[in-house]
Amino acid sequence: MADLAGAPRPSSSVKLVLLGEAAVGKSSLVLRFVNNDFQENKEPTIGAAFLTQKCNLPTRTIKFEIWDTAGQERFASLAPMYYRNAQAALVVYDLTKPTSLVKAKHWVAELQRQASPGIVIALVGNKLDLTNDSGDGEGTDANDSGDARKVSTEEAKTYAEEESLLFFETSAKTGYNVTEVFTAIANAIPETSLKTARGAGASAAAASRAEEQRVNLNGPRDPNAKEGCAC
Amino acid sequence: MTPSEPPPESAATEPVDLTSTNPYSLHQAVHARRAEYVRPHRIRVKIGTWNVAACPGTDKDLASWFVDGKGIDAALTSLNMAENSAVERDTGTNGTGSDANGIHLLGGNKIGLYVLGLQEIVDLNTATQYMARVYATDNGPMERWKAALESALPDGYQLVTAEQLTGILLLVYASPEVAPTVSNVSTVSVGTGLLGYMGNKGAVATRIVLGDSTRMLFVNSHLASGSEASYVDRRIWDAGQILNRAQFKPVTFAGVSEDEGEKIGDEDFAFWFGDLNFRLDGLPGDDIRRILMLHTRGEYDLSKKGLLREDSLEGEGVVVQGASDSSEETTDGDSAATTSIDEAADDGSISLPDPDDFLPDPHDDPASLQATLDSLFPHDQLKRVMRERKVFHDGWREGPITFLPSYKYDVGTVGLFDSSEKRRAPSWCDRILYRTRKDKDEYEKKIREEEEARKKDEEMEARGMDHAGDDDEVLFDYDPDNDGDDQPLGSDGLDYEECEEDDGHSEDIVTKEGFSDRINLDIYTSHQRVTSSDHKPIISIFTLDYDAVVPELKAKIHAEVARELDRAENEGRPVITLVVDSQDFTRPNGRRESSDHLVDLGEIRFMKKETSSLTLANTGRVPATFSFVEKPTTEESGSASFPSWLTTSFLRSEVVEDEHGPVELGKEVTLEPGETVRALLEAYVGDIPQARMLNDGQISLEEVLVLRVTNGRDHFIPVRGTWSPTCIGRSIEELIRVPEGGIRRFSKTLSAKKGRVGSITYDLDVHSAAPRELFKLTDAVETLTERALADEQMLDECRLPTEGGWPFDEKTWKVVDKDTRSSHVIDVVDALDRDLGIGDAFKPETSSIERLEAASEVLLLFLRGLTDGIITTPLWNRIEQAGLVSIGQANTTPKMPTDDTFEDDKTTILDILAAAPNHNISFVFLTATLAKIASDLSPLSKAELDVLKSESPVRSSVLGRRSLSFRRAGTNPAAEALAALEKRRAKEKRFAEVFGKVVCRAPPPEKEKEKKVLEDKQRAVVELFLRRREDS
Repeated sequence: MADLAGAPRPSSSVKLVLLGEAAVGKSSLVLRFVNNDFQENKEPTIGAAFLTQKCNLPTRTIKFEIWDTAGQERFASLAPMYYRNAQAALVVYDLTKPTSLVKAKHWVAELQRQASPGIVIALVGNKLDLTNDSGDGEGTDANDSGDARKVSTEEAKTYAEEESLLFFETSAKTGYNVTEVFTAIANAIPETSLKTARGAGASAAAASRAEEQRVNLNGPRDPNAKEGCAC
Repeated sequence: MTPSEPPPESAATEPVDLTSTNPYSLHQAVHARRAEYVRPHRIRVKIGTWNVAACPGTDKDLASWFVDGKGIDAALTSLNMAENSAVERDTGTNGTGSDANGIHLLGGNKIGLYVLGLQEIVDLNTATQYMARVYATDNGPMERWKAALESALPDGYQLVTAEQLTGILLLVYASPEVAPTVSNVSTVSVGTGLLGYMGNKGAVATRIVLGDSTRMLFVNSHLASGSEASYVDRRIWDAGQILNRAQFKPVTFAGVSEDEGEKIGDEDFAFWFGDLNFRLDGLPGDDIRRILMLHTRGEYDLSKKGLLREDSLEGEGVVVQGASDSSEETTDGDSAATTSIDEAADDGSISLPDPDDFLPDPHDDPASLQATLDSLFPHDQLKRVMRERKVFHDGWREGPITFLPSYKYDVGTVGLFDSSEKRRAPSWCDRILYRTRKDKDEYEKKIREEEEARKKDEEMEARGMDHAGDDDEVLFDYDPDNDGDDQPLGSDGLDYEECEEDDGHSEDIVTKEGFSDRINLDIYTSHQRVTSSDHKPIISIFTLDYDAVVPELKAKIHAEVARELDRAENEGRPVITLVVDSQDFTRPNGRRESSDHLVDLGEIRFMKKETSSLTLANTGRVPATFSFVEKPTTEESGSASFPSWLTTSFLRSEVVEDEHGPVELGKEVTLEPGETVRALLEAYVGDIPQARMLNDGQISLEEVLVLRVTNGRDHFIPVRGTWSPTCIGRSIEELIRVPEGGIRRFSKTLSAKKGRVGSITYDLDVHSAAPRELFKLTDAVETLTERALADEQMLDECRLPTEGGWPFDEKTWKVVDKDTRSSHVIDVVDALDRDLGIGDAFKPETSSIERLEAASEVLLLFLRGLTDGIITTPLWNRIEQAGLVSIGQANTTPKMPTDDTFEDDKTTILDILAAAPNHNISFVFLTATLAKIASDLSPLSKAELDVLKSESPVRSSVLGRRSLSFRRAGTNPAAEALAALEKRRAKEKRFAEVFGKVVCRAPPPEKEKEKKVLEDKQRAVVELFLRRREDS
């Protein structure tokens, strides 16, 4: 093998945690993102699944360390173990279930109160495939049977803007917008908060800088982002 | 650029460790698939160097030789032009501008990269001019040369870099095909001239990357001039400075920049050219001129100007004769253009061996140009310093020199060496060196080997074997490379070697990025017929085969590989499967069925340990390490600082049934695939405040254990126990409301009614005046005391402890085994909670002493567990302030009361306690029992009592004084009776000490001294009620 001193630098690790009510599709989003796969009637997660996935941006490679946590209420007290030191959080709700958005808002509030100051939070409304605007632009049989949407895009988006969250509506089932969520998060992670070595957390200074850099990221996305996680 | 056949298999699929998370493995895995994202390319790289000596008109000549390849003089080179791939025949030679030889070098659009190094593009001869140049940013000359070159280049050629350092100019142009693949261009100047830094001498160097795969370096240098020997060292110094000081920007691939910049030596292919200014040593200049003139004789300049110049060279017979032969040479040249071009055409005067037989090796022909050149090489300074490893020795190579020295000619002449007064000795000042990564590596390897050999020699010498081993070394350690260097200077051997080595020979060079490239030097020659400078331009054409990365394809492969690696990484994670062990061992308290992940430990009774276990199996493919996570206390659960009711440990599963007991494995366990281990979960509540909160429903026995598999997932294991309500940790107010049937049943009924566990509220009916448990316990203690005493009478082996506060003083307990005791305690508490007889709680074989001690322990536990005690804090405060003689005033030690004050104090206390009747009854009940037990255990005989009674008048005095009088009396019945009485008093006091602090509740004092005082008072209050009148 040739001298590989010229290899790209080790990728930066980003700890990402998924939070949200039970059965909103957290594990399915991860499965779609990591394995490009979908399973109907997935078993509930009892615990916290750990997976990694690299994401190539035009200028850097980010390695997501994903903690997919159990959504059941009785495990809620364990969540701090996972969002502590996380640089990104995916707060997921079910578009067809208004209570799940309420729960999502609770999570957002808790994260803003207790997580790292620079944490990048994305609000994700999942199960878009059950609505009339399933994202693929073409009507399917499922759409004809009626629109199960109970949370309007407008409502969630307004909330996300108020709280400076990234916002996406996705379908883990069809894969719509899933990669985009992770790419957008990767792009929103400030360079300064990236740890280059595993375990070495971002310094306090970096974290505060990250805080300053926290901006409303809901605007039109970087066109490069689309090709980012070319996976 | 011409596409070529694909290079040899460069993309063999190498084994890549997909499980590693090392970022380099991604790079390696991507690299292993490089065949999918690289495309082979072949380009020609043309490098020209020319010292233009600031001569006017040199820029006009540039296009014809550098781009069009004209100005070659086949007669004045020993190269076999006809067979060289870099040479083309002119087409339409009849027109003007066609070369006299009818040939030209490859040029035009057949060259992928044009690299031009010029020197002295400005005149630096005077200091003033020089300073003016240094401090003025005069781009004029560079622009003029750029314009000259660009006008000659075919359409679409793009400037890669242009940099001028005073008189030194480097221009690089790329063909339209190559230009888009050129990246990471970094160009620097290093001045080594005046003061070691000025730009009158030095170099311009540029580093480029071709096709994201191949690093190329071009150095155009003008080293110190001067023919004296001392200047050689200065040239070496200059080159050393350039090597050290040239620093290029870090290379960036796909947006990812490398950490460090690059220096000369980091490239894959390097080309160093320019006016290096090395001369010919040790030969008189005139001799060199003369011997070379033999070859140029007969040449003449094509230009009229040249002829004029030649006229000034009178006295030089050779030249004059050359001029006179000019017409003859012209026809010679013409014939050469139309016939085969070889050495035979060099000089018609030389007779040749039969040309049809073989091509003569010019080196062997003493009369050939090459033989002449060869004879000069030993004198060439550059070759010498390279041999001596002073500079350019670390892998640098030069093509075979088959051309005349490039310097110094009279301007305007093809072959007239300096005819001025200085008559400078001709020399090869202008050179093109090159080096591949492999050359450099091989040199370094050789140095290492030499170093090792040297060390070995030193070792041998140190051992005195140097001479003995000489012969052997000569025989066996002969290394042609190393030993060849020992040849005396001036030997021609090396030069021949070089010639052969470089002839049409190309080899694979593995680049820094791991690609396999090939390079070939096609030609190295001079444009002898360019006459506008006193130097001749030197040219090299290289053919480079390289793999160019197609960025889009590479990004795609990168993404695919990253995905595969991620998948492998995720699938290669350790996997643990949990199974909650079936609760097949029957439990009296009937636990619920444990579901898949939920562990239900069933009913948890006070002090009773309950266990359950999980079997953990490594069902993955890799060893798995795991442990239960120590959870941080969250705000919700952080309020109480109880010992955790749940503890975990790992046991080796196969030895659980072993007689020696299970082996604890520590906090963290690693299992190989297929192995299993048992995790033991133990529930235990033995803390009274914790029991109280459980009774009240303020906390519950629910927990989520987190089993963390290192590098894998976390498993959540909800663990639940059902608290079994108990009388321990209740208040008297609660307990008196418990109906028959026991508190456990009652509590369950209540919580079933309310839907949650909670305390017994005061709105419920009162069923007894004092806690039934207290009745039972006092009764049991009393009965068991009698029983124990009876046993003592009957059984020899039964001896009751007589000293101290037995059976209530922990220190005096006969049953010392903790487990035995606690199992009795658990059974007694259970009997109380179920409203069963305490006697039934014991196994038949349990001795009365054991039973008594157990009942006593539970009594104390029960009293400690009473939420507010029997004498509550408010009651205690009133007692303390009642001015009792027995307990004294604050901060004074209580006095032993007289019988009168004794009774007064008791009345006062009972009056106070009357405010809380249930407490009052409990208190009286307890103290009466204790008094009874004290008297049973320290009995006074009838006789003793009689004596004491008869002494009653005396007894009205202070006890202490009286005792003195008795003692003096010696052993009379009264004294014995009094001794027995004192023994009882001591027991009463000890009892009171034990019970004082559990019966009375008071705010804990801050100081240790106050604590002692408080305890004395509490003891005194209880003691008052333990003393029985002897006559009662």
